[in-house]
Amino acid sequence: MPAETHVERGDFGPDDVLAVIRERLAEILEIDDDVITRESSFAGDLGADSLALIELVEVLEEDIGERTVGFTFDDEDLAELHTVGDAVDYVMARLGAAG
Amino acid sequence: MTADRITVAIDAMGGDNAPGEIVAGAMATVAELDVAVRLYGRAEDIMAHVPGGRVPDGVEVVDCREVIAMDDEPAAAARRMKDASVVRAAQAVRDGDADAMISAGNTGAAMAAALLRMGRIRGIARPAIAVPIPVPGSHPQVLIDAGATVDAAPEWLVQFARMGRVYARVRWGIEEPSIGLLSNGEEEGKGDTLRKTVFDLLRKEPGFVGNVEGSDLMRPGRADVFVTDGFTGNIALKSIESALRSLANLVFSVLESTEEARAASTTVLPMLLEAAEAYDPDLTGGAVLLGVKGVCVISHGSSTAPAVVSAARVAGACVRAGVVQQLRETVTDAG
Repeated sequence: MPAETHVERGDFGPDDVLAVIRERLAEILEIDDDVITRESSFAGDLGADSLALIELVEVLEEDIGERTVGFTFDDEDLAELHTVGDAVDYVMARLGAAG
Repeated sequence: MTADRITVAIDAMGGDNAPGEIVAGAMATVAELDVAVRLYGRAEDIMAHVPGGRVPDGVEVVDCREVIAMDDEPAAAARRMKDASVVRAAQAVRDGDADAMISAGNTGAAMAAALLRMGRIRGIARPAIAVPIPVPGSHPQVLIDAGATVDAAPEWLVQFARMGRVYARVRWGIEEPSIGLLSNGEEEGKGDTLRKTVFDLLRKEPGFVGNVEGSDLMRPGRADVFVTDGFTGNIALKSIESALRSLANLVFSVLESTEEARAASTTVLPMLLEAAEAYDPDLTGGAVLLGVKGVCVISHGSSTAPAVVSAARVAGACVRAGVVQQLRETVTDAG
């Protein structure tokens, strides 16, 4: 985690992270966000390939970075994110570690 | 970047002949076209190929230290290597430092860099590469996708069709371009599962004329836009290029085969060479990545200096024609 990271979490909880991920993923995949749930797998259920995932990561870093300076995904961890829930938990863990 | 002179960001490190041929192409571009060039790459490598070590007016060298290799995983590399020449070129377009970018390097990396830095047009899930296929006596056909997305969902091919139609209209002035779905037979029901699904989706699209075959490429009349996935499209494109090269080699070998043929070639050869220019990818080339919020021209990996000039010409034409704006208005509305 970058040393300069600091967090303004407020009430930014897992449901908020899920909402951001659903909105952004729907835009990237050009699908309805109704079909995106915590349980959705990126590849199997949503058809998101590595490029779509990286696009998601970049926009999340931008979105969440607006409230959490220096928030980033570690590239080494991306292979472990199989479902939307994995991504939510990952973001929350990163925010928690920073907070 | 000025209001009237187009600036093109060129990935100097991309391609089999980089940076030498790319730098030479950049110099020729500035000399031949009303275009300014920003060259992205390792400054010392670029400068080694600048004649006399003096950068001419209209050319700016932008030093960046990383290079994405042909065997790098494109998306990961484009994210990780933020100082890579192709990434910086894409960023220049996003930041308004250039009107268009050109790369002859790793196609996937160019697509990923353009997608991540410029962003995607709303209504387009995946960008696609549109390639002009020369047609004797007529305007070119548009082959889309020629290799950007090898595993495409059916809905994406519909988006490719819409983009190809806009591109054909804007670039060649075809008022109502016709769309054909590249398949293994023209009858309805031909093709694999993807083709059959796409066929049903395309029924509702204006200009759809049904299935077309590989043999309809380079022949006028059947369709203006050939829609396919990137896997099939790339094979079709490479097959055409290879067949044309083989044909040219055959003709040249025949013209060298006997005394009479050599005598005839003094008359025939200049005419053949002139005619062949219309089919030379180096002179007509410049595939355009459609679906991102900027002009991105992808030149083939073995690009020489003339190919860079040709790509810059295509980039300039796309900028002047407002291809991206037309796509944003038309495809987003159609979404």
